[in-house]
Amino acid sequence: MSQSQVSQAAEVVIETKNLSKTVFSSHVALHILSAVDLIIKSAESLAIVGASGSGKSTLLGLLAGLDTPTTGEVLVKGQNITVMNEDGRAAIRNQFIGFVFQSFQLLPNLTALENVMLPLELAGDNKAKAAATSFLERVGLKERLKHTPKQLSGGEQQRVALARAFVTQPTILFADEPTGNLDSKTGAHIIDLLFELNHELQTTLVLVTHDPILAKRCQRTITLEAGKVL
Amino acid sequence: MKRSTLAWRLLWREGRSGELTILLIALIIAVSSSTAISLFANRLHRTINFQAAEFLAGDLVVSSPTLLPTVWYAKAKQFYLKQSETVEFSSVLMENDNLLLAGIKAVSDFYPLRGQLKNRQSDYTSEKIAPNPPKQGEVWVEARILSALELKLGEQLTVGEKKLTITHILTYEPDKRGDLYSLSPRVMMNLKDLASTKVIQPGSHVHYFFQFSGQESNIVDFKQWAKPYLTPSQRIMDIHQDRPELGGALIRAERYLGLSSVIVILIAGVAIAMATQRYSERHFNTSAILRCLGCRQNEILWLYGYQFLYLGVVASLIGCSLGWLGQQQLFYLLADFLPSEVVNPSFLAIVLGFLTGLTILFGFALPPLLRLKKVTPLRVLRRDLEPLPSSAWLVYGCAFSLVSFLIWHYTNDLKMTLTLLGGGAFSLFVIGILIYSIIIRTRKFLTKLPLNWRFGIQALLREPKATISQILAFSLTLVAMILSFSVGHDLIRDWQQQLPKNTPNYFALNIFPNQLEAFKQDLVQEKIELSQLYPIVKGRLIKINGTTVQQVVSKDSQGERATHRDLSLTFSQTLPEDNQIVTGEWWETDNQEQGLVSIEQKLATSLKVVLGDQLTFTIGSQQLNARVSSIRKVQWETMKPNFYMVFSPASLKNYAHTYLTSFYLPKENKDRLNKLVKNYSAMTLLEVDAILSQFKTILSQLTQAINYLLYFALLAGFTVLFAAVYATLDQRIYEGALMRTLGANQTLLRNSHLIEFSLLGFISGLLAIIIAEALIFSLYHFVLQLDYHFHWLLWGLSPLAGMVMVTFAGYFGVRKVIKSSPMEILRTTEDS
Repeated sequence: MSQSQVSQAAEVVIETKNLSKTVFSSHVALHILSAVDLIIKSAESLAIVGASGSGKSTLLGLLAGLDTPTTGEVLVKGQNITVMNEDGRAAIRNQFIGFVFQSFQLLPNLTALENVMLPLELAGDNKAKAAATSFLERVGLKERLKHTPKQLSGGEQQRVALARAFVTQPTILFADEPTGNLDSKTGAHIIDLLFELNHELQTTLVLVTHDPILAKRCQRTITLEAGKVL
Repeated sequence: MKRSTLAWRLLWREGRSGELTILLIALIIAVSSSTAISLFANRLHRTINFQAAEFLAGDLVVSSPTLLPTVWYAKAKQFYLKQSETVEFSSVLMENDNLLLAGIKAVSDFYPLRGQLKNRQSDYTSEKIAPNPPKQGEVWVEARILSALELKLGEQLTVGEKKLTITHILTYEPDKRGDLYSLSPRVMMNLKDLASTKVIQPGSHVHYFFQFSGQESNIVDFKQWAKPYLTPSQRIMDIHQDRPELGGALIRAERYLGLSSVIVILIAGVAIAMATQRYSERHFNTSAILRCLGCRQNEILWLYGYQFLYLGVVASLIGCSLGWLGQQQLFYLLADFLPSEVVNPSFLAIVLGFLTGLTILFGFALPPLLRLKKVTPLRVLRRDLEPLPSSAWLVYGCAFSLVSFLIWHYTNDLKMTLTLLGGGAFSLFVIGILIYSIIIRTRKFLTKLPLNWRFGIQALLREPKATISQILAFSLTLVAMILSFSVGHDLIRDWQQQLPKNTPNYFALNIFPNQLEAFKQDLVQEKIELSQLYPIVKGRLIKINGTTVQQVVSKDSQGERATHRDLSLTFSQTLPEDNQIVTGEWWETDNQEQGLVSIEQKLATSLKVVLGDQLTFTIGSQQLNARVSSIRKVQWETMKPNFYMVFSPASLKNYAHTYLTSFYLPKENKDRLNKLVKNYSAMTLLEVDAILSQFKTILSQLTQAINYLLYFALLAGFTVLFAAVYATLDQRIYEGALMRTLGANQTLLRNSHLIEFSLLGFISGLLAIIIAEALIFSLYHFVLQLDYHFHWLLWGLSPLAGMVMVTFAGYFGVRKVIKSSPMEILRTTEDS
């Protein structure tokens, strides 16, 4: 499917209008993002690339509703999350969004299974255990259900994180440098798994990376430089 | 899934990982110690009151110049109270040509309702507990009656017109009153014989005492009912008013028990606050992830709130059980010292312990918990984003109001609460600022110090606010420990001083002036050391500044009681021993001025008498006017003669008077008294050994209890100090590992940690003794009425103890940083 076909057929999942973020440090204004306009459609995979400090993670944070812009707005599934309060945005995240982070962000005191169960439990799902087990099996961790993050390798931890991200079958998955803390071989396995799951579940993928090879696996790439889309 | 169920699961998962251990331990310590102390205090208080009831021979006693109306008995029956009755009067006995003024006591069959009578069946048999009072037709007498009237057991004694058989020598009656000057040798008979003696005629001077006993709550209800029916000459007797020598000790002991509860709770509160702060900081990431997963702010608060509630319930249940076991153990250990009959623990005290646990938990844990709700979800991308700390007003306001409430609740003493809170808050504030400025200024000198010192001090300077809160937390714990130690210690010392080894156990009254020299010589001959001799003139206070006293005094006050009877007035050139002038001046030794009087402080307050007031007394048929020239503080607990009114010699010496003195005579030399009794037949010799030994028993019980509580408070303090140091270790461990990756060797790390902890402990210890000394001063001065003295030893010990404890606990906690691989630590700390 070509990019134009995707854009015509699919529904718009995320839209930004004139998105900017400015922070003040010692009375000096730093423009981290300036006037970003983006449209991301259902089941699309998008890579955001750029050098360190170009504003990639800030953009991801704004798209996912983790942060609020200085000006402009973000619409997720047609809803303007910029005007929502923090709890409103939390509800949107719960309903539509999944995350994978560079530093895995697993809860250290919970086992792999419990980490994956958590988002389902929070959503009030009574079959959390069965679903979480099946996703952990899907990422190849059938034997590691009762291990805590400390007892798992980096690659295994990221697989748990993938299972946790996909277990709620989110509409959109945000991945922030998902292979940044892994060696290249393990990283490649994780990326394969990420794209496989993404394909199976028809999730919209927004991936922040500075790795051009990884970016190429996405359908579309945008490059940021000094807070602006090139 | 319900939030409550999810919270329970999360708590279970956390608990399994050991994350909650410190918090749980702190909470269990708080609940178990507060429950143990409040249960112990409650039981001891009720037991002592019960025991004190022995001193009155009933739980509630009404004194009256006449019989009580029948409605009283009906009401008492309605409350299921047991009743007994005693009638006391003086009568002159005449046998074998000897005359003797005796104190007759006619008692009903159930007397005494509390406590026991003791007697001997002959001179040679030992004392036995008497299950019943004298039967009809019988009389029991004190040994000195037999010697003075030349009678033997089995012979007959005539009281009024009735002949009664002397069957026993009376050795102990529980409710022998402390009104030492009116006591004469005792004759005890059955109430049924009283009418036939025909001694009591209309107008006779007779005292009726009606004793009641029963369940605590019924006694309280009955007392409530009875109060409005009392006529001005009737009175409900009370252990605090009627036995001031005991009452004072009891009140102080009760206050100490209350203080100990508060201290332990405060110590535990500090630990909970620190442990929750650590918990909260370690959960910033978790909260951020939960927020990413779609948790709302309030949901996060509920999730943690539920977890803490469960934790509180579990810890309180464990704590209550341990507390219960602890106080059982306490009573078991103190079995030799405590009365054999100990009342059961009150269920309410256990419930109170449980509620205290939950209240402390939320009072101290809520502010750090609220912070978790404020964690931004963006923290998952930027780990440096920390939530704003809860407002200082919220943090300190929450803890302060909770502590105020608890202190007030446990001491039930507004004055003590205000003293502790005011003194504590003020010194904390001033000293907090002082340390902050010292820390800020120390930075300048850092570069001149060796590397390990620099690292050690830098660790303290990096976050001055955190350092100050740690110092304050350690100091508060130490303050609590010092308070508990020194107040307990000084209270015991004060009691021991009150009753030194040779406390007088005999009072000799009614010695006539012309016998005085001979009496003194006789005592010297018998090798008996006597204390001061006081002249006694009986007189009644009738007017204050020309107004009749009845118009001035309030009903049922000390002043009213003192003006309803003749007082023992004395005169003296010098200030009596153990007395202290509060206002005014004592007359000079060569002063010949007439009409000066010194009045006891509490009576002066009750009568609203101030310096310079004019008091009018009747003595016999004469009137005497005197100006109040000083107000005195009197130590009633000393068991030495004490007086409400002391006159300048010129005012009183021309009135007819007799002398009173007290002396100590060991039991084995008792026979030396026989000669005295024979030589001075009008003299009344009063033996207070029994009262004294009862008093000593109670004091030693209280002393034991206080010592035990002290160890409890100290133990809790040590445990909590360790837990608190542990709670502050995360940052240090992380930095230590970082420094090792940068090439710092083990010795440098160890030394700089040692320096840091020693300084922290030293400053905390120093601060603690400053605050504690200030609090001790105010407590002694305003609340406990103890003599204040400077605690030199503690000024040396406290900083040293602080240093050793904090260093030991801290070093124990960080030693793994020095030993294990930095990589491992960095990874673990990064994850948490």
